[in-house]
Amino acid sequence: MIQVAGKQIAWREGMTVSDLLDELKDPHPYAVVRINEQYVTRPNFEHILIPDGAEVFLIPMIAGG
Amino acid sequence: MSDYQLKEVKALSYQRPDMVNGYNDQSLYINLSDQEIAIKPVAEKTKKTFIGGKGYNLWLLWNAVQPSTKWNDPENALCIAAGPLGGTPIYPGSGKSIVATLSPTTASVIDSNVGGYFGPYLKFSGFDALEIQGKSAKEVVVFIDGVNQKIQIYETRDLPQNAYALSAVLTEHFAGGKPRNISVVSAGPGAKNTLIGCLNFTWYDPKRKRARYKQAGRGGVGTVFADKGLKAIVACWDHVTAETNNPADKARLKNVAKLHSREIVELDPKQNEMSKIGTTHLVTIMNDHDLLPTHNFRYGQHSQAPNLGQEVYRRLFDPGFDGCWMGCTVACSHGIKDFVPLTGPYKGKKVFVDGPEYETVAGCGSNLGIFDPHTVAEINFYCDAYGLDTISVGTGIAFGMECFEMGLINETHTGGLSLHFGNRLGALELVHQMANGEGFGRIVGQGVRRMKAIFAKDFGADPEVMQDIGMEAKGLEFSEYMTKESLAQQGGYGLALKGPQHDEAWLIFLDMVHNFMPTFDQKAEALHWFPMFRTWFGLCGLCKLPWNDIVPEDNKDTAEPAKVMKHVQWYADYFSAITGNEVGPEDLINMSETVYNFQRIFNLRMGFGRRQHDDIPYRAMGPVTEDEYESRAERYDKQLAETYKVDIEGKSSAEKLAILRKHREAQYEKLKDAVYKRRGWTPDGVPTQKTAKRLGIDFTEVIELLKANGVNS
Repeated sequence: MIQVAGKQIAWREGMTVSDLLDELKDPHPYAVVRINEQYVTRPNFEHILIPDGAEVFLIPMIAGG
Repeated sequence: MSDYQLKEVKALSYQRPDMVNGYNDQSLYINLSDQEIAIKPVAEKTKKTFIGGKGYNLWLLWNAVQPSTKWNDPENALCIAAGPLGGTPIYPGSGKSIVATLSPTTASVIDSNVGGYFGPYLKFSGFDALEIQGKSAKEVVVFIDGVNQKIQIYETRDLPQNAYALSAVLTEHFAGGKPRNISVVSAGPGAKNTLIGCLNFTWYDPKRKRARYKQAGRGGVGTVFADKGLKAIVACWDHVTAETNNPADKARLKNVAKLHSREIVELDPKQNEMSKIGTTHLVTIMNDHDLLPTHNFRYGQHSQAPNLGQEVYRRLFDPGFDGCWMGCTVACSHGIKDFVPLTGPYKGKKVFVDGPEYETVAGCGSNLGIFDPHTVAEINFYCDAYGLDTISVGTGIAFGMECFEMGLINETHTGGLSLHFGNRLGALELVHQMANGEGFGRIVGQGVRRMKAIFAKDFGADPEVMQDIGMEAKGLEFSEYMTKESLAQQGGYGLALKGPQHDEAWLIFLDMVHNFMPTFDQKAEALHWFPMFRTWFGLCGLCKLPWNDIVPEDNKDTAEPAKVMKHVQWYADYFSAITGNEVGPEDLINMSETVYNFQRIFNLRMGFGRRQHDDIPYRAMGPVTEDEYESRAERYDKQLAETYKVDIEGKSSAEKLAILRKHREAQYEKLKDAVYKRRGWTPDGVPTQKTAKRLGIDFTEVIELLKANGVNS
């Protein structure tokens, strides 16, 4: 299992960030998610794997300056 | 501890007024030429029109200077103010001071905001703003003692030169055993010997038992301070509570403050963790999106960027509460304990580094081709201690390095420094030279605009090439974001009133990553609304981070997620609760629009503020060199073929580069047209008389100025 925004989600081998976002059916154009303390950005969503037991935060990245 | 002297030469005792709804309705005036100290009332119309903070500063400065006034003329005023909400300890981010003056590098109005305790302590001492004119022949310290209701001017001898030591000495000197009651504003030798000096504003950290500081960095405000003969300004205040501002509706204030404060405590750990890593999370995020400036803004990405990322600074930062104002739950002002510099006067000694923040990491790290966090920390430490702006230092050295690599300048000009990208000790040497006003550092310390002129005149460098790669506009060095692929952010920088600083509009993700504003009209609307709302923070004495760096969990499902309207409504409630003036979100925009247009007109008065002054170097719009083009050829080829319908078959990189440039420059001009129209300005970028009247700034002097510049309606 992984925890996403406070909810338990079933984990599977080879699960990428893109897979997770597809599964959540969340249309928001996330640019960044955080897996535990590791920041993952959209260009890497398709190849970064989520480990079992991870806590995933969906970052609403709208600010920077 | 140095053996110093402070000799009182002038003093004024005063009766502190009762604060009413966040206002004292008076300002403090000091003329250093004749040591005049005066307390001046703030007119009701001034309060209504300019609100406070930056608005008050601009009005004081407008009345202090003439169109012919130069930055180092005695009549130039250095103004510092909080704002009506400033100093509230229960609402996050409520401790900002705003500084305004005529800039040494832009020759027009500059404003810079900063944390630390000074602004609130100044206000609680009885003054909504401080205006300093004149020049002192001898170095002086001004002491604003709100507890004993006394203003004193001291001539000084043998105080430490650098702000790191000076802050500690003056905090102890004036504290009377209560160091938390003291906030010191000071510059440093770098501010005196360059044009890019910053100001350090202290806050006392009781856990670490030391004065720490934040910086008002942009546009040489520290240089003006040093030129006036100011060694330091010190404010003293004792006890701060939610009631010190005497809010109109205490219960409403406590309610809205609790909502915002609790939300940050709950959501910051789930979002950007600013209370642990500050703004350093941005480094790798920007790098992954090709937005992190590397090698003088040539590229937006580098394989070694993670060396400067949040994982590194998470380990380097000393854990603990790091709020630059009391009670702020963002608490992002982190620092490095027991850092040992490799160079300079503190070589081999343990020091505390306040920072770095993202801008310093990018400016003094990746943009110089330096990917060593310790070098960045050392440059950060010395820039602060010397009173140098890390953004202008970083962007200036980066320009020097690229000129060196292109052969525009050589070791003959740099005093033997091999100024290649990545030369860590060379970059540090330049910082030390800037502080001492010597060597090649003395030239870099003049800022990029003057570097270009000196390189062309004295070293024979090609001015056209330097115009393309010298990252300044209006005379101010760019802050540290790549804008090549975001037309909206090109406008965010180029159309900013003071020059290319991101505090007016940061639209890169909204434009480039989220594609929230595909049309010109949408970009123009964003370049109206965001600068207006962001200006409001500077009027009120607030930090903008709580607004949109930590956002509600349901924000993404709202009609306009980029505006974070739930928080905007909270800010309207906050303003209403303190001042007693009932306002809604639109009123906040109107307050800002008034001051914003006044600042644009102020620029016009100083000989700027027209369309031509909103130009930006081509490096900010697209690839300057064939190498840059070829490094992202797929992106640029696609844009030429699909967006501009250009047949690129058989064309060389040089040919494609030229065609792309023509299109991108045309797009930027089209953006100017759309934004000027939205803002109620003429096609030349000047507010119309109608706009001035609508906003209530149609003072006789303003209308005459507009008429004199051909604006007759």
